[in-house]
Amino acid sequence: MAGRWVLLAYRLPREPSAPRLAIWRRLKRLGVAQLGDGLAALPLDSRNREQLEWLADEVIEADGQASIWIAEPATAAQERDLAAELQGQIASQYRAVAAEARKAAADGSRRHRRTLSRLRRELGRIRRRDYFPPPERDEAKRTVEALAQRLEEAAA
Amino acid sequence: MRWATRAGIHVDRTASAWLIRRFVDPDAEFTFVGDPDEVPENATPFDMRGVELSHRGGECTFEAILRRYELDDAALSEIAQIVHEADLEDERYDVPEARGLDVLIRGLSMVRPDEEMLELTGPLYDGLYEYRRRATMLGREPS
Repeated sequence: MAGRWVLLAYRLPREPSAPRLAIWRRLKRLGVAQLGDGLAALPLDSRNREQLEWLADEVIEADGQASIWIAEPATAAQERDLAAELQGQIASQYRAVAAEARKAAADGSRRHRRTLSRLRRELGRIRRRDYFPPPERDEAKRTVEALAQRLEEAAA
Repeated sequence: MRWATRAGIHVDRTASAWLIRRFVDPDAEFTFVGDPDEVPENATPFDMRGVELSHRGGECTFEAILRRYELDDAALSEIAQIVHEADLEDERYDVPEARGLDVLIRGLSMVRPDEEMLELTGPLYDGLYEYRRRATMLGREPS
């Protein structure tokens, strides 16, 4: 049942720190599971593979070492742990969106139209990285749409 | 000239192939390979790891080709931003059309082979270029 994963194994010089930071930010944005120091994983699809390949090239350009691997977890338990890690990251992002939407709805002021469009964009971004949807997904979507309705009513 | 890129093309490679054929080499012939080792000897590779016309310093291949062939054109620079965001999603540019373009090209690649993708997306990029060109001339979005 094990799915396939694409792994980036990388090592960067400690100094300068700017490339280290840039790579770290990119990995975070991609929503990787960090398997260890210098080993990051994403579920295998053509887009994830490509994104990690470009990142590998950037590591090499920054005088580091990097390689790309296609792998399967040896046990189902290991895969569950990996999925749970990614799901946990995503769930906390959904919770943050829901909390902000609730706060804006409680306030109800019309200037929150901007908040609404930002939160909708943010939801879209999270969803594109959501490989193992947590229950928080529907909750976040509901809360943001409730904000939309609240603003409609306030304008009417 | 022959050009080679990775099989399973999406937005950056379709846009780059269009750019090459329209502004660099009108007789361009494209080959799609599964592994970098399969690039024919007489072909120029693009959008593959470790080649000149590819991702560099956080830029996508389309941007690398603009730079390499010194294609100085405002409409092309705007298309480059759209392709960059569709491909990298790093929010360097504010171009909402990127998301739509990515979905259309990705969907098309699910139902059409690579060779046909170039025939189908060519007119789309021609249109996008014309639109951005008119927008630049008018100083507003054309209707």
